[in-house]
Amino acid sequence: MEKKLIGKRIVRNEDPRLLTGQAQFVDDVEIPGMLHAAFLRSDHAHARLSSLDVSAARRYPGVVAVFTAEDMGEDWSPGPPLVSPPPTVKDVVFHSRRQVPLVKDKVRHAGEAIALVIAESRYIAEDAVEEIELELEPLPAVLDLEKALEAESCLVHEDLESNLAARLFQKKGNYEAARKEAGLVVRRRIVIERGAAAAMENRGIVAHWDAKSQHLTMWDTTQAPIPIRNGTAARLGLSEHQVRVIAPFIGGGFGPKIMMFYPEEMLIPWVAMKLNRPIKWIEDRRENFYATTQERGQVHDVEIALSRDGQILGLKDDFLHDTGAYDPYGLTIPLNTQSHVMGGYDIKNFSSDFKVVFTNKTIVTPVRGAGRPQGIFIIERILDIAAAELGMDRVEIRKRNLIPPQAFPYQHEIIDQAFAPLILDSGNYKVVVDKALEMIGYEAFVKTEQPRLRKEGKYVGIGIAPFIETTGVGPYEGARVTIEASGKVNVATGIGTQGQGHFTSFAQIVAEQLGVKVSDVRIVTGDTAEFHWGTGTFASRGAVVAGNAVHAACTLVRKKVLKLASKVLEAPEGELELDNGLVRVADIPQKSIRLGELAMLANPLRGAVEPGTEPGLESTAYFGPQYGATAFGGHAMILELDPETMMVTIKRYVVAEDCGTVLNPLILEGQIHGGVSMGIGNSYYEKLHFDENGQLLNASFADYLLASSTEMPRVEVAHLETPSSLNELGSKGAGEAGAIPVPALFAQALENALHDRKLEILEMPLSPNRLFELIHAKETQ
Amino acid sequence: MRIQGEYTFDGPREAVWVLVRDPEVLASCLPGTQSVKKVGENKYSGEIQVRIGPITGVFAGDLFVTNEVPPASCTLTVEGKGKVGFLKGTGNIDMIDLGGNKTLMKFTGEVQIGGKVASVGQRLFDTVSRGMIKQGLDKLNEILQARIAEK
Repeated sequence: MEKKLIGKRIVRNEDPRLLTGQAQFVDDVEIPGMLHAAFLRSDHAHARLSSLDVSAARRYPGVVAVFTAEDMGEDWSPGPPLVSPPPTVKDVVFHSRRQVPLVKDKVRHAGEAIALVIAESRYIAEDAVEEIELELEPLPAVLDLEKALEAESCLVHEDLESNLAARLFQKKGNYEAARKEAGLVVRRRIVIERGAAAAMENRGIVAHWDAKSQHLTMWDTTQAPIPIRNGTAARLGLSEHQVRVIAPFIGGGFGPKIMMFYPEEMLIPWVAMKLNRPIKWIEDRRENFYATTQERGQVHDVEIALSRDGQILGLKDDFLHDTGAYDPYGLTIPLNTQSHVMGGYDIKNFSSDFKVVFTNKTIVTPVRGAGRPQGIFIIERILDIAAAELGMDRVEIRKRNLIPPQAFPYQHEIIDQAFAPLILDSGNYKVVVDKALEMIGYEAFVKTEQPRLRKEGKYVGIGIAPFIETTGVGPYEGARVTIEASGKVNVATGIGTQGQGHFTSFAQIVAEQLGVKVSDVRIVTGDTAEFHWGTGTFASRGAVVAGNAVHAACTLVRKKVLKLASKVLEAPEGELELDNGLVRVADIPQKSIRLGELAMLANPLRGAVEPGTEPGLESTAYFGPQYGATAFGGHAMILELDPETMMVTIKRYVVAEDCGTVLNPLILEGQIHGGVSMGIGNSYYEKLHFDENGQLLNASFADYLLASSTEMPRVEVAHLETPSSLNELGSKGAGEAGAIPVPALFAQALENALHDRKLEILEMPLSPNRLFELIHAKETQ
Repeated sequence: MRIQGEYTFDGPREAVWVLVRDPEVLASCLPGTQSVKKVGENKYSGEIQVRIGPITGVFAGDLFVTNEVPPASCTLTVEGKGKVGFLKGTGNIDMIDLGGNKTLMKFTGEVQIGGKVASVGQRLFDTVSRGMIKQGLDKLNEILQARIAEK
């Protein structure tokens, strides 16, 4: 069927509200009698709590209550484990240690919450925090991943034998045998460091317990309102139907706003019930740098075995992964790294052993890309180095090893975050890479443009980096679609929205099937009162999983529409069409009925009800994929380096991507642009600097640099479509894609710009300063 | 964080030493010092107001003098904390008689800062601390000149 709306560049339904300040964010919630919360947080990364006296804070004028771990009594307990280790992997080691609402005995990272002050205003609450007398006995901070595993290291969790949080080994084929056959073996150590997600909106919670109706309403900047509702009900001993969690408009999620059960998420509703007063807590930026999860710290020892003609015979990647002070999110990130380190290449022999390490740093959970950028960085780096050793073209070595189109579905064999051996469902990778090369004008640049510019003394470099992204994982999402008497359509789904354009892309799916205007479809996300079941927005799954649930519910509603209209219009269903808010007989257009009228007829009056009648043009449906759909893309860039200042200017940036059926190219491109911007930050600007005591030294946007509009190139995007066979719409996720290959690409283009220095970039993120040091170190070698 | 530097006083080593070991003089020299009190043989308590970029706060803490070899050298240990963070440091001071009524002070130390001063003020800490030390030593030298003139 020719699609009328899916795939069209339709402007977003939600933008007028967002752009005119009419959208509700958590901090917009005002309730009479509301109190405000502020936290006392640890200045030390690792310390024993020796004394805590909150009496002066309690006496402070305007303070209503102060809570410590002691004050919580029996209600004090760590957060729930979010993701368990994969039960299907043999001999997996996993020690679950979860974040606590307030520190009881020992601080495990700087910024960990120790006490909570509730006052008439945030100003008073913050002033009263300063009245708290706290004695901490500092302990050596565990920071370095390798030293953390040494026998003499101080322990983050003293009930464990070491700082090892988890260990998991996977392999396919026989790497050792492949290595013996190899014409070239290349081995490197590659280090990737931490960054922040730095969403524009920090976290925030408002909790309102209505004692008379025995009902709790919680506004939360969460990506996953339903798990938060369920967990909150369980913690507070309430029915899930007594708790409503609303995730309203949110200024960016990027992973850390996942269903964490942050200490604040455990505490604020608890306090609201305890005091029988509405409570608001809005995280400030400095808190965000300490108290909101981060990602990317890993140390890899990678080895690749190739034939002399550039065929990859095997890959071995052993790595350490920093999980921070606790590991509530299980092994999702290192599993993603492990399953992406082979990229989109056909590698028959693979071996990977990872260790997850507790450190005295903020907790690590997925940040846009979630372990995938590290995996792609490793394979792309080692391929560049191998190509140089073989005297082979960088493009050629990649093309030689890409999974061929006839190999799909490709049995990747490595168990990934879905806890099953990964299968790459579909794709045509070489075509995508060729498209990126064509867009950037690779041949012409390398053959004529670059030599000319180099002659002029310019340091210009070009790079190409392909990548895969596993997306759209289960378990499931659902949607309820209702045609109302007005003829407009209401849709409720359980996921949350943090700027992904669901209000438009889901509306297009609905409009496509029901023949209504996109602007006549109202989408509700992130409100547990509207939809009871679901998981959340993460793993680039919204459009795939919830989108297909919306599609499935629409299919059912369409059936109801056709059945009833056939009766009313006295025409067979096959002759009916839905268009322009009407159902009409295709050949006799004047024979029609408005959807709204039909909806009224579907709500039967007394006497019109037959056995089995379901009222309304409404249906609920669920979609759970058999396994996740895997997207593919290739980014290419041309950059120029100023050899004096080491500042980089990106001259061209192109993206060719295949995420299956495109729902709305405008929204998709917006997602990719945002991802690329984050990737540029991860490559050259954004790095969290910790000192040897675990003090974060750049906890403000004056010192932690985000890529801003002046660093952002114009990003040209081309879409290729290989529909996934795993869902009706044929879609694959794209929310994280933009960020994934950028560090690999950036490093390659930088090396290319510095071709005469023979520099090997084995770390990320870089900075102008760090690049200067690397070049200088190379020169003095 | 490392603090290191030197300063030449226009006076004899013994006279400089006397001043350095007088808490009241020190308090009047170091900018922002609100109080210094001798609480033990080689132990002093005090409060100092510090301004580092956007961060302003009072640090209360103790100063210990050890390894004292008058008038040549000593070790200073500082521990302070306040609402905006904490500070710990150890440093060595060496006084070298340059002759001709000149004394060279060499100091070197390690300072550890934490909390808000570290996370937001770190970038400025080095400049601010150098500025404070320079101001303090200039003032000390002025007092030294005044004392010499009195005699």
